[in-house]
Amino acid sequence: MDHGNDYVIEMLHITKEFPGIIANDDITLQLRRGEIHALLGENGAGKSTLMSVLFGLYQPEKGEIRKDGKPVRITNPNDATALHIGMVHQHFKLIEVFTVLDNIILGAEDTKLGFVQRKQARQKVEELSKRYGLAVDLDAKVEDITVGMQQRVEILKMLYRENEILIFDEPTAVLTPQEIVELMHIMKGLSREGKSILFISHKLNEIMEVSDRVTVLRKGRYIGTVNTAETTAPELSRMMVGHDVQLVVDKAPAQPGKTVLKVTDLHVPSRLYKHDAVKGVSFSVRKGEIVCIAGIDGNGQTELVFGLSGLEKCSGGKIELEGEDVTHAPIRRRSETGMSHIPEDRHKHGLVLDYTLEQNLVLQSFEEPRFQHMGFIRFGEVRKYAERLIEEYDVRSGQGPVTLARSMSGGNQQKAIVAREIDRDMPLMLAVQPTRGLDVGAIENIHRQIVAQRDAGKAVLLVSLELDEVMNLSDRILVMYEGEIVGELDPKQTTVEELGLYMAGAKRQQRKEAQA
Amino acid sequence: MRKSSFWNKAGTRSVLASLAAILIGMLTGGLVILIVGLSNPSLGLKGAWEGIRLVVGGLFATGRNAGGSLTFGFNTTSFGNMLFRAAPLIMTGLSVALGNKAGLFNIGAPGQYLAGTVGSLYVALSLPTSTLPAWLVWLLALLCGMLCGAVWGAVPGMLKAFLNINEVLACIMTNWIAANLTTWFFDASNLKNVLEGTKSGYIYKTSTVMHDVLMDGARSTVGAVVPDGAEVIAARGGVATGKLGLDKLFSGSQVNGGILLAIVIAIVIYILLSKTTLGYQLKACGANRYAARYAGIRDKRNIVLTMAIAGALSATGAALYYLSGNTEFFWNTYQSLPAEGFNGIPVALLAINNPIGVIFSATFMSMLQICGQKLTELTAFNEYITNVIIAVIVYLSAFMLVIKTWIGKLRKGKAVNK
Repeated sequence: MDHGNDYVIEMLHITKEFPGIIANDDITLQLRRGEIHALLGENGAGKSTLMSVLFGLYQPEKGEIRKDGKPVRITNPNDATALHIGMVHQHFKLIEVFTVLDNIILGAEDTKLGFVQRKQARQKVEELSKRYGLAVDLDAKVEDITVGMQQRVEILKMLYRENEILIFDEPTAVLTPQEIVELMHIMKGLSREGKSILFISHKLNEIMEVSDRVTVLRKGRYIGTVNTAETTAPELSRMMVGHDVQLVVDKAPAQPGKTVLKVTDLHVPSRLYKHDAVKGVSFSVRKGEIVCIAGIDGNGQTELVFGLSGLEKCSGGKIELEGEDVTHAPIRRRSETGMSHIPEDRHKHGLVLDYTLEQNLVLQSFEEPRFQHMGFIRFGEVRKYAERLIEEYDVRSGQGPVTLARSMSGGNQQKAIVAREIDRDMPLMLAVQPTRGLDVGAIENIHRQIVAQRDAGKAVLLVSLELDEVMNLSDRILVMYEGEIVGELDPKQTTVEELGLYMAGAKRQQRKEAQA
Repeated sequence: MRKSSFWNKAGTRSVLASLAAILIGMLTGGLVILIVGLSNPSLGLKGAWEGIRLVVGGLFATGRNAGGSLTFGFNTTSFGNMLFRAAPLIMTGLSVALGNKAGLFNIGAPGQYLAGTVGSLYVALSLPTSTLPAWLVWLLALLCGMLCGAVWGAVPGMLKAFLNINEVLACIMTNWIAANLTTWFFDASNLKNVLEGTKSGYIYKTSTVMHDVLMDGARSTVGAVVPDGAEVIAARGGVATGKLGLDKLFSGSQVNGGILLAIVIAIVIYILLSKTTLGYQLKACGANRYAARYAGIRDKRNIVLTMAIAGALSATGAALYYLSGNTEFFWNTYQSLPAEGFNGIPVALLAINNPIGVIFSATFMSMLQICGQKLTELTAFNEYITNVIIAVIVYLSAFMLVIKTWIGKLRKGKAVNK
């Protein structure tokens, strides 16, 4: 398709500064009508800031935005909406207890004498849903539908508002492999119908598959715009990171030692429903190996980790850590007995966002004698410790140890958590989706550190939804399906396809209860 | 360069926002006075102008001269009374501020204040000062008041921690329970002032000396003067907060050492919050309960502990007020809650929950009360006009964040123009 040089949106020489950091430094992004334009960059490269500028959430210090060639001023999201710019946020903005239809029309309801005209709305949504192949159940409540369907609801919301420019902010981060394929299909369909799409991502294979052109940012700077057809994934990754990246983890064979964690017939209740989310799981993790729990999101992995870490009370079974029964031990006790934990949700559990970086780095250890004396915090020691961690783990932030965690980029927040947990130097490390939402550079970094932990004789229990990560990193794979372990696989002898069959519940093994 | 960094500091902006709230509050108060004055022929523009001067500078008002116009000067009585009344406000302000820092809205300060009143008054008026030194009784009374407040504060804390009941609801309920329990308790007690006939509904001042005597074989309580032929079994009362020489500095006022104690406690709370591991934990629980729990911090214990400390702080405010020796407690509280408790909320808001800031905001609130008093004394205006000012400030405190952003933009705008 020839798009010509017909630009719908042009962001020219945008510069946006924050205290201590230039988030966007003279960035130009031109979106052609009807194209899928990928915006690629590491975490902290300035993608989100640039989109917030386009959406009127931030005002740039310098630069100009043009719509259809005419300069426009976007001072708040309403201006953006008036220009038919819509966005699917990474974290969906839906009201859980409303139906799908109500969520779609919310804020743009047609009313007659103050009454919502649901019938017309339903007709319009159904038409859109058919035209773009977006299957949704209009009468279901959002809390009851899958993440993939929630995303389709978000897309329908944009279409219902007749948006011409659609921004997708890391849309695949929360989806299963099948849902990703479907989303790619939908995006292509939207582009065919003349919608212009900005696709923010750092997953190279998706960008290669779906986009027409790619704009790459690095550390707030504009690196270049290339036609996807004329580039390759390694080249893009070089542009994004600035050096060659190793996409496959290099690791020596595992040398498993004695058992560190032994779980026997563990049951953990579900927070949402009245039944157990983990139904009698048994396994063990030994020194010097990475055991990976694979599975599609929502099959009890979260609850399993909650049970192991003590965030949720177990309803049955036994957990032994370093030979000690910690089934009913409080969180602090487990953590001191030898467990570090990179949590799944870094904003909810991992960080106190309103605390500074250094305060967050001592979140578990502030009561150790090295950081306190008679109940008084030794600020000098905390600062020294934070500076060492920041240096060693390359945690980047605007103001160093005193940066508010909230103002750091997602990747650096995660790096800070990883630094904290690795540095606690515990025999067992629970790593739950440690690279979720991170860019290639950061993923490589974290993978290397996890392997280094294993080689240093630590036991690692990795929970991951990413098949690549599961296959690359683990020494043993346990597949969870509906709260049970349905298979134990050797990554060297299995394939992604076989793993997929176990994950989907189409195949299962009879396992011996917990090996010695 | 240095100047711009000073203006961009979060602290500077917060203080400016508070001052802006105060300024707008004062202007609104002035406007109300103007409207009331102009619509009342006996006051007029001249009366309104006097009112405005008193609202702003009431602290310095000394009366009227022979010509009938207002005179101003350093008024030791007003200053001393301002400090005296600031003490309980500092304490309730600290109570609310501590709760806010730990993510709990302590609207239960009035109830905790009442608990402190009961605890401290009961001990001060019941323990025999004939056998115990008065200062010890004073100290025990203070501690008992604090304990009662801590227990009363811990109740909504426990409801929140273990049953996940919203602390605001629980606090409102416990406030009224406290109000009724207080009335019931004093009604059943022998601490009602029966020596002075005009004081029905009041408890004895703690400075009142009472003698339990045997007279004609029967036991009774009499005042300071013991009748002839009566045998003294014990003496109670005569307890008052030490003046520490402040009464000489501010002659004619009620001021005592309580204000100094309140300031010391404010500094202690500041150190607790910003320098200790306990403060680190409490604030972590307030900022993100889930992350605190993940890190092994006992969030439930901390909620109860925060509310208990907050309760003890409010109660200390009551003890400092009622143990002064020249204040009387009206025990029919079942229909109303003490204003000092609720005023802790604007004090904390205005201070942006900073314990040191609380000292100043509480003193300011107490100054407004003095101004209101002067307004009633010297003009035909009603002292409740100062409540209008407080109300406006409370509203604006809620908008503090907006004001802060305005100030930020203002500074930025100027910087760009340069």
